[in-house]
Amino acid sequence: MTDLYPSLAQCAIVATAFKILLFPAYKSTDFEVHRNWLAITHSLPVKEWYYEKTSEWTLDYPPFFAAFEWVLSQAARYADPAMLVVNNLNCDSWQTIYFQRATVIVTELVLLFALSRFVKSVSPSNKHLAHIASLSIFLSPGLLIIDHIHFQYNGFLYGILILSIVLARKQSTLLYSGISFAVLLCLKHIYLYLSLAYFVYLLRVYCLDPKSIFRPRFFNIIKLGVCVVGVFAVAFGPFASWGQLLQLKDRLFPFSRGLCHAYWAPNVWAMYSFADRALIPFAPRLGLPINHDALASVTRGLVGDTSFAVLPEVTKEHTFGLTFLFQLLPLIKLWRNPEWETFVGAITLCGYASFLFGWHVHEKAVLLIIIPFSLIALKDRRYFSAFRPLAVAGHVSLFPLLFTAAEFPTKTVYTILWLVLFLYVFDQVAPVSERRRIFVADRFSLLYITVAIPLIVYCSVGHQLIFGLERYEFLPLMFMSSYTALGVVGSWVGFMVVYFTA
Amino acid sequence: MAPPSSYRPRKKRKLPSSFAGSNNALIVDSGGKTSPAFPLVSFLWSARAGVSQWLVLPLILMAVGLFRWAVSLWGYSGLGVPPMHGDFEAQRHWMEITIHLPLSKWYLYDLQYWGLDYPPLTAYHSWLLGKLGSLFDPAWFSLDESRGFEDPLLKVFMRGTVIASEYLIYIPAVVNFLRRFTQMQSVPVWSASVALAAILLQPATILIDHGHFQYNTVMLGLVVASLDAILAGRMLWACIFFVGALGFKQMALYYAPVMFAFLLGVCIFPKIRFLRLICISLVTLVAFAVLFAPMLLGALSSEAREALAVAPQPPLLQTLPVELDKHSMLYAVVFQLTQIIHRVFPFARGLFEDKVANAWCAIHTFYKLHRFEATLLQRMSLGATLASIVVPCAMIFRHPRASLLLPALSTVAWGFFLFSFQVHEKSVLLPLLPMTLLLAGDGGLSKETRAWVGWANMLGSWTMYPLLKRDELGVPYFVMTLLWAYLLGLPPTSLETFRSRALEDAPPSAELHVLTKLLHSCFYLAMIAWHVLEAFVAPPPGKPDLWVVLNAVIGAGGFGIAYLWCLWKLVQQSCMIDQKAAEETEKKTQ
Repeated sequence: MTDLYPSLAQCAIVATAFKILLFPAYKSTDFEVHRNWLAITHSLPVKEWYYEKTSEWTLDYPPFFAAFEWVLSQAARYADPAMLVVNNLNCDSWQTIYFQRATVIVTELVLLFALSRFVKSVSPSNKHLAHIASLSIFLSPGLLIIDHIHFQYNGFLYGILILSIVLARKQSTLLYSGISFAVLLCLKHIYLYLSLAYFVYLLRVYCLDPKSIFRPRFFNIIKLGVCVVGVFAVAFGPFASWGQLLQLKDRLFPFSRGLCHAYWAPNVWAMYSFADRALIPFAPRLGLPINHDALASVTRGLVGDTSFAVLPEVTKEHTFGLTFLFQLLPLIKLWRNPEWETFVGAITLCGYASFLFGWHVHEKAVLLIIIPFSLIALKDRRYFSAFRPLAVAGHVSLFPLLFTAAEFPTKTVYTILWLVLFLYVFDQVAPVSERRRIFVADRFSLLYITVAIPLIVYCSVGHQLIFGLERYEFLPLMFMSSYTALGVVGSWVGFMVVYFTA
Repeated sequence: MAPPSSYRPRKKRKLPSSFAGSNNALIVDSGGKTSPAFPLVSFLWSARAGVSQWLVLPLILMAVGLFRWAVSLWGYSGLGVPPMHGDFEAQRHWMEITIHLPLSKWYLYDLQYWGLDYPPLTAYHSWLLGKLGSLFDPAWFSLDESRGFEDPLLKVFMRGTVIASEYLIYIPAVVNFLRRFTQMQSVPVWSASVALAAILLQPATILIDHGHFQYNTVMLGLVVASLDAILAGRMLWACIFFVGALGFKQMALYYAPVMFAFLLGVCIFPKIRFLRLICISLVTLVAFAVLFAPMLLGALSSEAREALAVAPQPPLLQTLPVELDKHSMLYAVVFQLTQIIHRVFPFARGLFEDKVANAWCAIHTFYKLHRFEATLLQRMSLGATLASIVVPCAMIFRHPRASLLLPALSTVAWGFFLFSFQVHEKSVLLPLLPMTLLLAGDGGLSKETRAWVGWANMLGSWTMYPLLKRDELGVPYFVMTLLWAYLLGLPPTSLETFRSRALEDAPPSAELHVLTKLLHSCFYLAMIAWHVLEAFVAPPPGKPDLWVVLNAVIGAGGFGIAYLWCLWKLVQQSCMIDQKAAEETEKKTQ
């Protein structure tokens, strides 16, 4: 009998105490975004939800999330009715802060429930591994930084994702897995990035006969089809009947934004920008033409519309093509070998592909990789080797989200605590792989982690001491983003190898 | 299947199947299945199998640091309350005056506005922090103009100095002390880690230092360092650290009688050692001299003497029988010294200030004490304090054993808190510190000690609630106290200490006495009921302070019981020592 201490509930209690203490911490504009949505959904008829634009933070999540905000707004009335007034911009009375912060903590219980289901679904011999992985997800610095300080509802959404992944484990609950994923898509459309893995997996194991792909199971196809279409009909039906679908499309998919987000998310395009920047001095010698308009914008490093000085421009079509290509590769393996662990691996790789090659990726989207990966990171040491640089890079890349002095100790100490604790524990418990370890990959991940420490010190303190606050302020950001991009890409390559050789 | 030959098998961890005696309090063994006795043990559950302290210690320190920093995000004393603000402004103001004024003016400058009234080490500490802070932004500490300055960055800086001071002094002292103390009491390392986490999460200290805003942990840390030096047998270092504690905050005087009795005791029992006595007294004097030297030297310059000659004389100087030349060096030195003493010990104030949970305030509630003259009250207070501390001091003097120090210190500090003059509600941190350190001793995490120490801490934090509420620290108060109660398995979150473990082989002493259970439940119920009353029922007109007075009266009763418990522990332990000594002599004679 393995002992599972501390239990999930115990961790949740202590973590909740800490999260309550963080109530007065810095909150980003996302706090006002969600406050505004509370006001919109509470005080306007459904017809106007997607047309209202008093605030610049218009409703740009799918209808179920709007409904979720409406439900919250019913309780918000009792906390402070002032926050429900659409014109009451930037309302942040302490009641509003307490209320909104508390809803994040309470809705995170969905994640706790999903994780406890995950631990239950695992065979007794591996229970302690699943337990440790669950703790690492629940206590993730990513969720702490994004949800409890920056302000979003990811805990709740990832809870539904994990629930849906756990439900996909047994044949008898596959249908519910599909339904819950459809619900998730109607809550936040970023999960569309993972939908191909679901599509392939459900098609293969639910709609087709496991033994032969040429024997479709018609009853299952109808059940799944009706349920999924039903979910979307409930979500989008009313808006379709009012002829608002085009407006919803414009709100949900604002393609007018640039390739890179204001802060470069650690993906391939960050490395591309870095390479572009590094090539500028050499361009004349190599005979490359320089786009002079781009010079100013690239050096600033804080750009909405990145344009490149030396390297060729990247278009939306390129990013879509690459994303699709790199999602397709793991799906082929999933199709041929439709097992649950391959499925989770495929979800992770879909997350990787969209994060690394996507258009206008937010750094927050890195959770799309980390959280599914955590579920299988303890399968054996090879998985863990690939996970390690991601855990470091993914969380460190979130640091620039919080830039205020008071949050600096919180984010760094919490992340270091989590990394030291969980990387140590993972290292102790991860079972030995049946296949050979890859020497290079192991050494890479060790070297990579070692570099993190001086880099963080330089970027947070050293740079200001050397250059002062004003000069070259883009340098730390660029280093961080390139470094973390290297980690994410490295862990992606490592995981591809593990995935395809498993 | 044969594994490939090239991989290196990883080291397997060995889990010991049984544990040393003192860990039994942490592990419940029911039918071959072991489980942690209370939640804090769960969190360190995986560390029980000999995980390196190099890993466990940094993790504990980071975790408790996070809670400290999170509490510090909340309000502080005097935030947004002009014109005087509060303790935060006082500390900031001292940084401002120490970096701008010559030493001779530190204790004289505009005394009406938060004049410096702590001993010199606090002044030097303020000077250092003021210099550091001016590197960031000189406007934070510009003379006179920065009064009442409030800025988020200044707050971060000030909060950072509290945490830095604590991590440089209090935390190393506690870690070292616990290491030595647990070794001495042969407590397993794992239990020591649990005790360390419990001690460092003590809610009252966190709430006052990181919430309300003070630097108590510097003084408390120096006291703990002094205890650590005693355990290590370095009595002279103990003197130096203790003088440091006194020089940082005069409240350390609560501990002074015990330290004095102990140090005198080690020079006399078991045999008289004059050399040691002389060394100890010399080192103490030199330490005081070094502490005051910069202040006194600062008064010697001709400018300083000019200034001091025209300054109003401190009352202590007026009572001196000899007349000094106002421009002489001697006058400057004596003036400076008496002025510091006058500022540090405000005899002119009343018996108690505000509502504080000590004997005088409690008696005053039922029997008005203004009818007596101030001098009589002072004498009464002195007599009562002496009466309350004479027994523990005599015991520690007769048995100068390091293991008796903690109960003796807590008893004497409770005596001071209950009966002495001019007690603040924050002074409750002083008796709580040695009492909480008992958790690390042999059987410290047993139900009995845990229940009593936990109860005293909960009560102590509760009596400070009116103060914390004024500082808008209500939420951190509830979070930190309930978290501590939860982690240690105490009411109101858990009745674990009250439940019997229903094991036949467990000794009956492992369970709480039924009277203890009754007493503790009454107090916990009273605290909960008080919070409900305070939150939802307005006090009757004409008695606006009724709830605060009620809090103080209940608190005083509880602290009296805590005093008696500590005294009883002291007697119990010294009896045990006597018994052991008797057994040993018996063996020798046989």
